[in-house]
Amino acid sequence: MTPNLRNSILSPQDLKVLILEVRKYSQWFGQNAVKAKVTGSGYVGQPQVSPAAAEAINELAAKAPLSTKSLDELIASLEKLEASLPTIIITLAAPAPAGLKKTLVAWCRQNINPGVLVEFRFNSTILGGMVVGYGSHVFDWSFRRQILAARAKFPEALRNV
Amino acid sequence: MTANTFFEIFLIVDIFVIGALVATAAHHARAHYRPPAEPEPETKPIVEMAAGSERLPEDIKQRMLQESEVKFQNILNQSAAALQQDLRVTAQKIDSMVNRLATQIVTGELERYRTDLAQLHKQAEVDMSGIKKEVAGYQEQAKARIAQELQAEKLQLIKQIDTKLGDAVASFLTETLGHDIDLGSQSAYLVELLEQHKADFKAEVADDTQPAK
Repeated sequence: MTPNLRNSILSPQDLKVLILEVRKYSQWFGQNAVKAKVTGSGYVGQPQVSPAAAEAINELAAKAPLSTKSLDELIASLEKLEASLPTIIITLAAPAPAGLKKTLVAWCRQNINPGVLVEFRFNSTILGGMVVGYGSHVFDWSFRRQILAARAKFPEALRNV
Repeated sequence: MTANTFFEIFLIVDIFVIGALVATAAHHARAHYRPPAEPEPETKPIVEMAAGSERLPEDIKQRMLQESEVKFQNILNQSAAALQQDLRVTAQKIDSMVNRLATQIVTGELERYRTDLAQLHKQAEVDMSGIKKEVAGYQEQAKARIAQELQAEKLQLIKQIDTKLGDAVASFLTETLGHDIDLGSQSAYLVELLEQHKADFKAEVADDTQPAK
């Protein structure tokens, strides 16, 4: 995975979409390759793909001429990558904006694992902060948890007012 | 000493007095009916005269007999009077002794009663003192226990109020903050959170991604 591609694939969903687009492109490419061989016509009706998928296909085409086999190999490698890359689930209090997503993913890839994928969820009841899940482990750094953990201190704080 | 005991003593004394009277009466009776064995020198001529009484005239004999009867009657009357006098004196003495004895007994009994009463009074005072001490001890214990229970109850109530207050504040905060969430302002804080727990997080991911040996 190239650095550019890596920057565009943040979550497992992004990788899954990439695989689907490459598969769709591969189907189109295979059908058009047969059609071109039989009728001698050119490739028509190329499907619209995302920049990430286009980059992946271009990267493949730069190494060797595109073929059904090479596209299948690309799909297989992407599926293998999907299964092997660690995935972190970050739950925020609201849907995360793109900038925040990029910031958090960049931090995770810089400090935790360069190939890590981050799945973002939101739950307004946590109020703020984040809940990070990895595998079976959950790090609850939410405001809600902090408030509930510190509720015994509220009466003491009120007494000191 | 009970009335029965006193009555028994009185009866014994009465028996003793009656015995003494009977003995005195028997002594006098014996003295009266049995004259001394040795004849008195004065009576000898009379006996001799009696032996030869055949010579005395009848009127003299009769007069002597009358005189003797009068003398005997006088002596008998004197003895009876003396016996009566002795009996009166003895009865008075017995009365006096009985009175003195009764007084002594009653005095002794009263004294013993007073002693017993004083002893019982002292014992009662000692018992009352012990009871007072025990009551005071129980009162102190009860006071301490009640104070302890009140303190525990107070602490429990304070704890309950604190818990409810904490819950109320937490609910208030969660309700209030839940309607106004700005992730943009939390961005730096979120990164800071990750930085704070970086080591734990990294270790967790490293443990999981490490191939099994």
